[in-house]
Order: sequence, then C-alpha cells, then structure tokens
Amino acid sequence: MDFLKANLLTILIFMPTFGMLCVLLAKGRDAIRWTALSFTILTFLLSLLLFVTFDWNTKGVYGYSTSGGVVQMVQETSWIPAFNIKYKVGMDGLSFPLVILTTFICLLSCIASWNIEKQLKGYMALFLFLETGILGVFLSLDFFLFYVFFEVSLLPMYFLIGIWGGPRKEYAAIKFFLYTLVGSIGLLIVLIGTYLFSRSVIPGGTFDLVTLASPEVQAKLAGVGNWLKVVPIFFSLAMVGFLIKVPAVPFHTWLPDAHVEAPTPISMILAAILLKMGGYGIFRIAYPLFPEAARSLWFIVGIVGVVSIIYGALCAMSQTDFKKLVAYSSVSHMGFVVLGAAVMTDAGVSGALFIMISHGIISAMMFFVVGVVYERAHHRELSRFGGIATTMPVYTGFSIVACFGNLGLPGLCGFVGEVMVLLGAFQAAKPDGILRHFGYATRGQIYSLAILACTGVVLTAGYMLWCVQRVYFGPEKAEYKNFPDADARELTVLTSLAIMAIFLGVIPMGVFLFTNTTVAAMFSLFQVR
Amino acid sequence: MLMTLASIGLPYIPGWNELRPFWAELILVASIVSVLVAPFFSRKSNTLCALIALSGLLLALLSLLLIGCEHTTGTFFRSLLLSDPVAYFWKILLLIFASCIVLLWFVTASPSLHEGDGPEFFTLLLGATLGMCLMVSTTHLLMLVMAIEMASLPSYVLAGFRKTHRVGAEASLKYVLFGAVTSSIMIFGVSLLYGLFGTLQWPDLAAKLLATTSGSALLVVGLSGLIVGIGFKISAVPFHFWCPDVFEGASIEVSAFLSVASKGAALLLLLRLTQTLAQAGSFADSSTLGTLAVLIGLLGAISATVGNTAAFFQQNIKRLLAYSSIAHAGYMLCAVSLLIRGNRAEAGFDPSAAAAQALLLYLAVYLFMNLGAFSVAGVVWRETGSEDISAFAGLGKRSPVLALCMAVFMFSLVGLPPLAGFTAKVNILWALIQNGSYWWILVGVIGLNTIISLYFYARVVKVMYLEDSEAPEFVGQPIGLALSVGSAVLLLVLFLGWNGLTNLTSGYDKLYMAPAGNAVPGMADVTPHPASVVLLPDAVR
Repeated sequence: MDFLKANLLTILIFMPTFGMLCVLLAKGRDAIRWTALSFTILTFLLSLLLFVTFDWNTKGVYGYSTSGGVVQMVQETSWIPAFNIKYKVGMDGLSFPLVILTTFICLLSCIASWNIEKQLKGYMALFLFLETGILGVFLSLDFFLFYVFFEVSLLPMYFLIGIWGGPRKEYAAIKFFLYTLVGSIGLLIVLIGTYLFSRSVIPGGTFDLVTLASPEVQAKLAGVGNWLKVVPIFFSLAMVGFLIKVPAVPFHTWLPDAHVEAPTPISMILAAILLKMGGYGIFRIAYPLFPEAARSLWFIVGIVGVVSIIYGALCAMSQTDFKKLVAYSSVSHMGFVVLGAAVMTDAGVSGALFIMISHGIISAMMFFVVGVVYERAHHRELSRFGGIATTMPVYTGFSIVACFGNLGLPGLCGFVGEVMVLLGAFQAAKPDGILRHFGYATRGQIYSLAILACTGVVLTAGYMLWCVQRVYFGPEKAEYKNFPDADARELTVLTSLAIMAIFLGVIPMGVFLFTNTTVAAMFSLFQVR
Repeated sequence: MLMTLASIGLPYIPGWNELRPFWAELILVASIVSVLVAPFFSRKSNTLCALIALSGLLLALLSLLLIGCEHTTGTFFRSLLLSDPVAYFWKILLLIFASCIVLLWFVTASPSLHEGDGPEFFTLLLGATLGMCLMVSTTHLLMLVMAIEMASLPSYVLAGFRKTHRVGAEASLKYVLFGAVTSSIMIFGVSLLYGLFGTLQWPDLAAKLLATTSGSALLVVGLSGLIVGIGFKISAVPFHFWCPDVFEGASIEVSAFLSVASKGAALLLLLRLTQTLAQAGSFADSSTLGTLAVLIGLLGAISATVGNTAAFFQQNIKRLLAYSSIAHAGYMLCAVSLLIRGNRAEAGFDPSAAAAQALLLYLAVYLFMNLGAFSVAGVVWRETGSEDISAFAGLGKRSPVLALCMAVFMFSLVGLPPLAGFTAKVNILWALIQNGSYWWILVGVIGLNTIISLYFYARVVKVMYLEDSEAPEFVGQPIGLALSVGSAVLLLVLFLGWNGLTNLTSGYDKLYMAPAGNAVPGMADVTPHPASVVLLPDAVR
C-alpha cells in the first residue's frame, strides 16, 4: 500500500503508455480493442484509488503537504540537474477532479471507438499515448515537465484528427497543430524567462510551480530588477498560450474545424479534456505565478471571456451543422471559465473549476449524441433532421438530458457552474473584492461584464432549444424511419454520462469537496501585494 | 652544400608532442593513401575502398578518444594549427558522422556507382573530412584559407559524382562557380587584413583591429570578404543559392554530408574568429563588435526565415532538407552572434562558453536528425527511384518503421518534445535569453520560425500518414533502416538524457585563446631561421 501510495501518480500517468506498447504487440482486431479497453479501465480504477489515498482534511496554504499545504502525493526525482529540472508529480483539489474526469472520459471514448475500422492498432496506440500526455499535464508540478506533456499531447491529436478524420481532416489537423504551437512557443519563452528570474532568488533556480507561486518567493521576485516589468509580458504570453487551448475568441477558429473533422471519440476527448488543459494552465500557472499582472490585466481577460460567451453563442445559433453547433457552444461555455478566472472571486474561481468538470461531462455527451445520429444518417445538417424522437425514443431521451444540461437547466450540472461564475462576477463588485481592493476595477466595469455575460445564458437557451426542436421533434421523416435505437454499447456511454450529469447537478458538492480547500489556498496567493 | 645547410640551421621539424593532437588527421591522410593504393591489389572493388575508408575513420576516432583533449590544448606548428576542446568535440562528431556517411553510401550510392569509382569517391570524402577537421583547428588566416579550400574542392567534385546525372553536373558547376567567387572574395579580404595589420595570426590581428579607432573602408571590405567566404560554407542567406541545387543534384549521402559537416565546420570557424575578437574586446559594447554581432544576428534571422519560408514550396525531399538546413544554420548563427555581453545579461554569464556550448549541442543533435532524414530518403529512393516527397505517400502503411522514424526526424527538426531537437533549440534560446537585451529579438525570430517550419515538416508527415498509395510495401535496405532507427532512438534518448548532453557539451565549450602578441607557447626555444622565412610569411613567427 505504501508503495502504491508513493508511486500511484506515476503509475497512473504511464499506465496508458504501457497499454500502448501492449496494443502494438497485440494481434487481431478484437485483441487490440480489448487490450486498449482493459488498460483504460485499469487506469480508471487506479484513478479511483486516489479517493483512498487523498488526504481530504488538508486545510491551509498553497504548498506541499509536508509543510502543511494542499498539494499532496508528491513524487519527485531529478531529471536535468543542470537546470534543476525535476520529474515532479503531485495532486491537489485543482487537478484531482480533472484526473478523474480524464480517466472516465477516456474509458467512455474507448468504448465509443469500438467501431473504428481503419488502422485500428495505430488508432488505439495513439489514443492511449494521448491519455498519458493529458494525465501528465494535470499531474506535473514542474513547469518544464508540464510543458513537455503539454506538447506531447499535441502529436497524437494531430494524427488522430489527420488520419481518422472527415473530408477536410488534413486542413483541420494542421490548423489545430499550428494554433496550439503558437501558444506553446510563447509559453516556452515564459518558462525559460521565469526560471532565469528564479535563479536570482533561489540558488540554482527552480521550475517548481508550487514553490514559484509561494508568497515568499513572489515577494523576493518582486525585488529583482525588472521582474515587475516583465510580469505583464509573461502573463500575456502564458495567457495567450492557454486561451488558444481553451479556446477563447479570437483564438478559437481551430476548434470548429477540428471538431467537425475529428471522429466522435476524439471530439469527445478534445472537448471534454483537451480544452481543460487550457483552463487548468490558467489556474495552475498564469494566475499563481503572475498574480500582480492577473489583477492589473483582469479587464482584458474578462472581456475575452465575455466576448467568447456571447460570440460563441451567436455563432452556435447560426450553424447548420449539428457538430459545429456543439463546438461553438463549447467556446461559449469555456468563456465562463475565463470570466470566472478574470473576476478573481472565490465563487468565480470555484464556478470556473466546476464548469471545467461539468462541461467535460456534457460536451462529451453532446458529441457522442451527434456521433450516434451521424453514424446512422451520415450527415449532420440540422435542417435535414426532424422527428427523430419517434424513431429513436430512448436515444432522444438521453439527448434531451445532454441538451438541457448544455443549456444550463437547474438540476443538471451545467447550471451550477454558470450560476457560480455569474455570482462571482457580481460579487467582485463588492468593495472588498480583490480587484476593487487593489483599485484595478470600478463597479461599472464589473457590472457591465457580468450583465453582458448573463445575456449569454439566454442565447444558450435559444440555440439549444431551437436545435432540440429541429433535430428531435417535428413530423416524422421517411429517411429516418428505420433507424435503430441506441444499442447496448451506446447506452453504456450515454447512461454513465447522464448519471454523472444529474449527480453533479443535484449534489454539486461532489466537485466543491475537492476544490474548496485548494481554491481557498490559492486565493491567499492572489491577495499578496 | 652541407655547409650551407649548417649555416642556416636545421629546418623546422615538428616534435612528436606537436603531432599528438593531430593523430586523427594523420590517420585520415594515411587512409586516403590506402584508398588510392587499394585498386592495385583488388581491381574495381568499391566495397573494399568503403571498408578501408570506414576503418580509417573509426581508427581516427579511436585515436582521438585515446589521446583525449586535456593535455593537448594549445597552438602547434608555430601557431599554424591549434587544438582545443571545441575542436576536439567537433572532430569526434565529424568522424562519427563521416563513418555514418560511409554506411549510408552502401544504401544510396553503391548500386549506382560504377565499379572502380570507389577510390575517387572515398579519397574525396576523406579529403573533405580532413579539410573540415583543419577548419576548426586554426586561427591563422593562411591556414584558414587552405583548410576551407581543402574542404571545398573535394565537395565540388562529390556534388557532381553521379556522372550520368545531368542535374548533378549542373549542381557541381554551380557549386564550383559560387565557391570560386566567394573564395576569391575571401582571399582578397584576408589579403587586405594582412596589408592593414601586418599579421596573419587572428588573435594578434583581432587586438590590433579593435585598437584602431578610425574606421577604414579597407577594414570593412576585408572583414566582409572573410565573412562572405565563411557564409558561403554555412550557406547563410544571401550566400545560399547553391545549396538547394547542389543538394538536389548530388547523391543523397553527399547531400547529407554537406548538410551537416561543411556547415558545422564553417559555423565553428566563424565562432572561433568572432569569439577571439570578442575576447580581445572583453565582450564590451564596442562599435566593431556591435556591428559584427548585429551582422551575424541578422544573417541568422534572415537565413532562418528565408530557409523556412522557401521550404514551403518544395516537392523534392532533398531540396526541402536543403532549405531546412539553411534555416537550422540560421538558428545556429543566432548563437554565434553572442559577441557582446547584453546590458541585462545575467551575472557570471560567459557569452563565449554559452555560444560554444549551444552550438556544439545543436550540432550534435542536428547531425542525427539530418543523418536520419537523409537515410530514410535514401532507403525510399532505393525502393522507388524517386526523390520526390510524393514517393513518401502512404509510407505509414507501406513501411511503418521507416515512416515512424521519418516522423520522429521531422518533428525533431521542428523542435518538439519529447525529441532532442527540442533540447537543442531550447539550449540556444536559453543562451540568447541569458544574454538579454537585443537578443530577445532573436528569441522571437526563432519562435516564429519554429511555427512556420512546422507546416512544411508536417507536410512530409501528412504525405506519409494521411495520403494513401497503391505502391508496394517494403522493409527497406537493412543498413539504411539501421541508421534510421538508430538515429530516431538516439534522438529520444538524447532528450531524456538532456542532463548528460548538457554536461558533455559544457565540458568542451572552451575555445583556446592564444595570448595576444607574438609569444608562441612552447616554441620559444626554436629560433626562426631563413629557411622557414622562405616557406612561411613573416606573420607566422
């Protein structure tokens, strides 16, 4: 048990890689499928073990559990001593739910991948490799290691879209790659720059994200030459890198293309987990490392968030392609995450973290719903659908759950996060809010952003309801007459996602239990002058 | 007669100690002779010559490893040659690389080469290798010109070695013409420098050069001439026009050889000259050093940008790799431009060591990326007879291992983790950022170029994996396959073993700086005599 506890995170990260090697050695289609599935199940089960090993009673600062902090289960070993780069993994309330989400969604999309025929071995190998990359991003505590995993997750995605995608797959794949790389290069410069500055406060320097964020180090850094001058630049570069991944308007154009071309399971992973790497980066790197810049530049970030919410919703409304609609609705929802970060209130950040989880579940479900109907109809034209409710009643039931979850109906998990973020936004207008306390925001700025964001909720309801009406209701059409209802495999995926959507909608504590202490700890960082 | 000899003293004969650092070169010379003699014993045997060349290269490598570089740093042969850790490291890299090129010869050239052409080919290859060893081991301008010519002349012939190949002949001619013009400009420049300062020893010249306060047109012309000559070997923009044509015309192993060896040697030579100058000015911001830094930085930035954008439109894999090599030379030039300590440079930052370390590490990684990419191109050429990128179509299915290796090389050339290309690029960025101030611009340039370059490198990957082809499956020639797989694995290992790579290269980043003035260490007891005056110009003493 001790061995497991000490090495669990590393085993978790590299279990899928091991699975990849096994898949490469497997012979025969079924063997490959079952090997891949068993490894995703194994990874999922391992991630459930975290519930046992996680110390729920930490209260305290944003630091390592050995010194009374919230970051725990740390494992480290030296990797590149010349630059003090370590292999360092660990977990706190920020990463825990995302790790569970990752293993859960990967398991489901592995099931969703069952009917992939083309080059199955390559597909499953890349799929498992991707899972390693994502888990690595969420679990690494070393900036450099984070960057490596962040980049590593690009490569399999490029191939997964490029080889198994739709008609314009080549365009979509390279666009995805190029956009993300633009962000990564900026991040790389931040990475090296931050390390150089850290050398003047810590002997040998450090890439340790938790140490870099600690108030003592931040206070020392503030005294170093031009740290305060470069911080806005570093913050902007890092934010651009993460906002591309999120994706926020105006960096979002890769997303609809990538989603439309990607096969269903990959769309699920892309929307449910890959976008969260951007959000996670904002909360793990951009804000804790550069709180000063986060405060002074909050209005720009806030505007980006609000524009994403509204523009994404408007775009979704005008789509004729079912999958593109869902893709744009992702842009809109992730805008709430950006807004939640920008306002820097307890409720805002908690809400943003909640949206990351709830959107992970609902967007995966939405993309699967689109995939199911696409597999039967071989098109995704919203105007050509109609009356599916009569031919596929069970499927339609689940679809409605997904659509209403996406819309933000109370009782489903989409609702909680949005309300929290909006609440947080209004809360920021109080005189003791961080932004007003430091004098970076006026009441008018905050209110205008918050009110604009509220309109997004209405727009979301608009396009979602219209979509439900066009696809599922209306007169029965002859071309969809003999569509079989969802089969057992599809039901497995839909049911598990629906249960999670309802569970988190009714008991949002399911997420807040993880995040509360960490958010509180992180907040103490933002308040440091 | 005997009396006359006695009256002028014994001619200068180098002692054994002076030969010690140059055993590798001597072995190379011996193997050139052996290759030439071989046909007397076994007529028309290309393979025999290849094996002799290979064993010569490996023997030279072994001699280097056995001798080590700790006790051999300094100047030798009356300061005509020198030996230092940088040169030592480069020689090791070069000899490993040249050995791999001989192996690659088995894949690409041997089926098309006429029996009996082997001796010529390997003589030229070894001769060029010898020249490239000497290029990095001198600061004497006369020796420098000779070394560059020694590396260039065999390269001209190698470029046109496919005798029946029309494009090859064109490439060779183009190479010779460009080379002749730039060489003459360089020699002209060197002669002007000699005329201005009265010495051919670069360290002395550097001190005098920096001491001159009044700028002179002759000085500018002289220095520019020197840079033109070296820039041609680096194929920095605007001296790059030969590069794509020569790469296209030459056979694959020759292109591979030129893409790494000739550029690497020239870059290290430039590094040595500029750093000697910078050291003489103690990295302070003087107008000469400043101009030179800007000039080299600009060359680097332009080369990287032009190379990457021009590679967009290439249909031939060798042309693509040619432009890619121009771009990578640009990145490396950025490292060479560290001639002034930036006003916000980190305390204790040594630009000379940082530049040398960044360059050596980059070369060590770049060597395997290019070797691998050319090996794959060679195997594909052998199977399909085509050097077009379209020949790679569907390679992911036709030859999975080879395609995977090629993808590794392409992504490594972009500089993506987890591959060593990333290590090398970060290392250069690292050095530039440490120096701060204007070098941030170069950081930005390299960043932008990385993004541009992704597009065309990924195009090769796209063709291999995203396009289908009816062409038959194949495994590939075993030696070529081994070279590809070996290089690909090594790139991954070098990434994981980043620390070792850093420690290794920073152990060899010291350029030997001869003390200014005429003192020649270890040579004080040798009195100059008329005979040597006849053989060597004054400046040697």
